[in-house]
Amino acid sequence: MRIAVTGVGIVTALGIGVECNIASMRSGVSGISPAATILRTSNLLPVGELKLTNDTLHDICGIPRREHLSRTALLGILAVREALTDARVDPTQRVGLVSSTSVGGMDLTEHFYAEYNDNNSAGRLRDVRMHDCAASTDAIARYCGITGYRTTISTACSSAANAIIAGARLLKHNIVDSVVVGGSDALSAFTLNGFKSLMILDEGACRAFDASRGGLNLGEGAGYIVLQRSEDVESCYCHLAGYANRNDAHHQTASSPTGNGAYLAMSEALSRAGITPARVHYVNAHGTGTPNNDASESAALVRLFGGNVPPFSSTKGFTGHTLAAAGGIEAVLSVLSIKHGYIYPNLNFKRPIAEYGLVPEQRFREDITVDCVLTNSFGFGGNCSSLLFIR
Amino acid sequence: MEQLIQELKEHLIEELNLEEITPEDIDADAPLFGEGLGLDSIDALEIILILEKYYGVKLANSAEAKPVFRSVRTLAEYILQNRK
Amino acid sequence: MRCYVERVITESDVQRDIKELITDAGMRRRMSRILKVAVSTAIECIGGRENIEQLHAIITATGLGCLADSERFLRNMVVDKEQLLNPTPFIQSTFNTIGGQIALLGHNHCYNVTYVNRGHSFEDAMLDAMISIADGDASRVLVGAFDEETPTQHHILERMGAWRKMRSGEGAVFALLDACQSDRSIAQVTLIEFPQQSLTEEECFKRYATRGDAQLLYNTIYQSGIYPTASARSFAEAVRRVECGIEEVIIYNEFLGATPTILRVECVG
Repeated sequence: MRIAVTGVGIVTALGIGVECNIASMRSGVSGISPAATILRTSNLLPVGELKLTNDTLHDICGIPRREHLSRTALLGILAVREALTDARVDPTQRVGLVSSTSVGGMDLTEHFYAEYNDNNSAGRLRDVRMHDCAASTDAIARYCGITGYRTTISTACSSAANAIIAGARLLKHNIVDSVVVGGSDALSAFTLNGFKSLMILDEGACRAFDASRGGLNLGEGAGYIVLQRSEDVESCYCHLAGYANRNDAHHQTASSPTGNGAYLAMSEALSRAGITPARVHYVNAHGTGTPNNDASESAALVRLFGGNVPPFSSTKGFTGHTLAAAGGIEAVLSVLSIKHGYIYPNLNFKRPIAEYGLVPEQRFREDITVDCVLTNSFGFGGNCSSLLFIR
Repeated sequence: MEQLIQELKEHLIEELNLEEITPEDIDADAPLFGEGLGLDSIDALEIILILEKYYGVKLANSAEAKPVFRSVRTLAEYILQNRK
Repeated sequence: MRCYVERVITESDVQRDIKELITDAGMRRRMSRILKVAVSTAIECIGGRENIEQLHAIITATGLGCLADSERFLRNMVVDKEQLLNPTPFIQSTFNTIGGQIALLGHNHCYNVTYVNRGHSFEDAMLDAMISIADGDASRVLVGAFDEETPTQHHILERMGAWRKMRSGEGAVFALLDACQSDRSIAQVTLIEFPQQSLTEEECFKRYATRGDAQLLYNTIYQSGIYPTASARSFAEAVRRVECGIEEVIIYNEFLGATPTILRVECVG
């Protein structure tokens, strides 16, 4: 059975919807701003923030402000609605949702906690109502009319890739007829300070795969795709031909210097699809811009592709690292890459990492045939997942 | 110097939650990472915090800080040189 | 879909000291209470750390994850005004921390995923395990569910009025599943379903019972109280009953506003 991708939806710091995201990337405009203006934080660090308040997002969604949804849910609703409309899913089918998030409703919880910590009868309870991860899935399903099997996955920065894998398996086992899969994560002071405490945030714009890279920029957004059984649809963007979820089992936060987990995930995704490395036309890398990730991922790329690493890039220079949404956003970009022959530029690259000599794609290309795209998502806890899309 | 070393050992045990280790068990000249105490990159971040919190000494990042992190004694020397 | 159960234990079944189960002091020292409890339960379930490498999938489930560490980081952030924060509670706050720690302890590179779906996180993890086995992707699978209670969470939920009708709780349950029947099999899981509507006890029997002596655990609550993955305790109880001679136990769970789930546990053979 083949798994068809029939719809895509995306929200990032570049804006809401496929069109404006691609337009920005085509003109090389990054969504990273010098500091957060919507998020309440004293940190002056660059972030990929969607410059719309939660109130405005409620208005855009047509949801009353009094519903007081978390930002993760709002971003998710926008992307899922776009994906469902795009796929023209028959609402009488069993439509499922596998959504992922790493922060859930933390954007509201941290407002609550700031007051609660001083006085435990203070803090508005409606700010903690959506704390848990499933609350965002629940709200997305409710406001997008999804009534089939629903679940939530959280494996740090590989979450959305794992949600996509889970969705493919649900289709295969006939638990759903179509399934919306991906992830959503809002910026929060919790994650911004968390990554700051790990000293892996760049104080300037992130420079993935560059010799001088100094860390990542955090971002927010949502990315979802719709999966259906190929025999049930007349047309589609492309197929999800392979996937793999492996563990690096090296360190709690750091990736192994040999890129073991990443190598295992990429090679298993290929072998599951019965595709040789030489047939991969583009790799959408995890490429966070931290010294550790990019070295480890480069090692894995060289191990898999030898001297013939295909065109590759990290799109995080545009969006920032959107954590649990990253795998969803990058799956949308990978799917569009096959459909339209796009290859995305890797911003801020100057010099390759001496050890590997890998040079990512630096301009927006739409002049070539892209039949096969591999996309990587790696996370804390050693989680490494890869997806393989083919025409 | 010796007093500072003793104090640092106590901070390390406390902040890094070193189970069943007393200051006497830590050799001031033994390596902190890998062999010796067997600390890792997360501990390095915590040690940077200890230096800043208790001694007001800043270290840019853990890679540049490598020679400083060699042992408890090198940490103490760094504090003495940089404390205001 | 079908799988065989080799072992199911809860945190209270763990008799050995954590120092015996997790010998590496360096790993232990950063672990919060729930991490210690859940990882110990997992290791005890598979009969020792050396058996981690034989697992083909590690699937965990939690409603609220490592809550104490999340709260610790949040408190430090508020109190210390976003300055000089210790990264450890942030690292440990991620929902997949426990699955990741188990993999790390055994240098296991296999499939590793975490479901965070309120009242049916555990059932989602079980479904994943059964799919992994059915697809031939895995034959030995560790499935675990855990949640911890903290004073703050208890107090916030109290303000919301949650404890008027129920008692709060926490706990960990781990199960070792296998694709094949062996002399170690103590029960088999023969069905997992997610009905669209609520079912009565009578409907559960009518639809899902296949044997005369079938018993039903219907939204059963245990000593350990209510928490998002509390239904994993029903699974442990069902397996225990099958071990004691009951041929079939059906579990119906519709906790905390979750959509209903059905699991059927039967004797082997």
